[in-house]
Amino acid sequence: MIQLAEDSNVGGPGAADQGNGHSDTMAGRTIHVRVLRQDGPGGESYWERHAVPYEPNMNVISVLQRIAERARAEDGRQVAPVAWDCSCLEEVCGSCTMLVNGRTRMACSALVDRLLEEHPGEIELRPMSKFPVVRDLKVDRGRLFRALERVEAWVPVDGSYDHGPGPRISPEEQEDAYPLSTCMSCGCCLEACPQYTKIEVVQREGESAEEFERRRTAAYDRGFVGAHAISQAVLFNGHPTGRMIADERLQALTSAGGIQVCGNAQNCVAVCPKHIPLTRSIARAGRAATVWAIKRLFDR
Amino acid sequence: MSPAEAETSFFSRHQFLISRLFSLSGLIPVGAFLVVHLVTNASVLAGPGTFQSRVDLIHSLGPLLVPIEWAFIFLPMLFHASVGFAIIAGGLPNVSSYPYVGNVRYTLQRATGMIAFAFIIWHVIQLHWMGAPLGGGKFDPHHASSSAALALQPVGVAILYAIGILSAVFHLANGLWTMGITWGLWTSPAAMQRANWISIIVGVLLGGAGLGALAGMRRVDVEQARAIEDRMDEMKRMLEGREPGDAPLVRPVATSAEGN
Repeated sequence: MIQLAEDSNVGGPGAADQGNGHSDTMAGRTIHVRVLRQDGPGGESYWERHAVPYEPNMNVISVLQRIAERARAEDGRQVAPVAWDCSCLEEVCGSCTMLVNGRTRMACSALVDRLLEEHPGEIELRPMSKFPVVRDLKVDRGRLFRALERVEAWVPVDGSYDHGPGPRISPEEQEDAYPLSTCMSCGCCLEACPQYTKIEVVQREGESAEEFERRRTAAYDRGFVGAHAISQAVLFNGHPTGRMIADERLQALTSAGGIQVCGNAQNCVAVCPKHIPLTRSIARAGRAATVWAIKRLFDR
Repeated sequence: MSPAEAETSFFSRHQFLISRLFSLSGLIPVGAFLVVHLVTNASVLAGPGTFQSRVDLIHSLGPLLVPIEWAFIFLPMLFHASVGFAIIAGGLPNVSSYPYVGNVRYTLQRATGMIAFAFIIWHVIQLHWMGAPLGGGKFDPHHASSSAALALQPVGVAILYAIGILSAVFHLANGLWTMGITWGLWTSPAAMQRANWISIIVGVLLGGAGLGALAGMRRVDVEQARAIEDRMDEMKRMLEGREPGDAPLVRPVATSAEGN
């Protein structure tokens, strides 16, 4: 099933005997990796092939580490190491999102053995397509975090005095809220969403950092907030203290780029690595927006 | 209003309201009209006389028919279509990368919307009296079944009608399901699943009515239908003749008859 090219040149350390039966057949084999690279923001992207000696139980991050070690493309040319983001390596930090074989997912939980079963011989890595590329597989997900600011995805408890104990939250409410709280801002839901389109603002000649930042934020604020932010708004509107600014969140969700941009493709929930019920959140936010809009129409 | 907000267009400031009106217009009146239209046309399966009496009922609105058509059918449909095209332009279908059922439906919803829009324009030109200057306007409300049967006789026309009808029906049935999510009627995955069954049943029944109407029109014996329609027309004239000064039961739609 798995067809890998024999290549003694790249059969480096780690490809040797690893004990289990599977690796015996794979020892000395090479994994071919196709990486879509880009040297800097706004630059041209290009494909580059890398060869990495197979080791058992690799994930995409360890493949990228081997590529960085070699710093050579498959044709032997010396190249700058491929850049990527990662942190926790256990699918809770949300920083290593990339397109693995064309699909958005966490690189750390993308196991090479599974990938080779699906697509023998080669692994394809691309940066997320909905965010500006910083370099290679690193992207700028500032818009994702800006969306959390737009919907005020927090509990407002700032102040210099003791507010006293917060209200009690029933076990039912806790169970309802917990899955939403597991969001790690990885951006998979946004990458897979057909309604979430890329916004890349480039700094102009002579534009100050502040002006550029302001212009970029304004552009982000016209774009779709995305499933993650809608779900966080639902999480904090369900929280007894967070609810105090529920109207502000609904105002944000019904302004330009708000919940109305959702096209019900439901890719968000299908690709979410944390299995967050995003479409339930979207429907709940839709219901809250319906009630809020009608109330605003008659109460003002 | 902040400076950033002032810069934005009317459409972007009222995006939420426009989207909700777009969603609503798909069901009322456009979707409701589609149901009435297909079910009315399916009455031809009960015979040309039955269909003719349904058409007469609609045309008994007399001079009110044109404003009603524009207010409840054409204008809402044009609104729904223009907002729909703007929505399609703003999205980026990715069904090849993410071939999930929901995503396929998202893509089909857009495709069927565009097919239905193109079909409806052609359909109106072909049959509605407004299409007469363009060589269409073939439907004669005094000879409902026979004129429709003649227009739908070519196999190519029938195939295009089947595609157009099924596109419109899919668009309505699937739109019903997404509308429930948009407005927050069904929120849990289980409720969405139940709602999905309802939309499937609506779609199958409506698709049956639409294809039944198409097949029924094509099966009409034109000579026989014409005889029935002429007799009914004669009776209406007699009724009108008995009560002079009253508004005619059927407004003589001269343009449609002359258009042929």
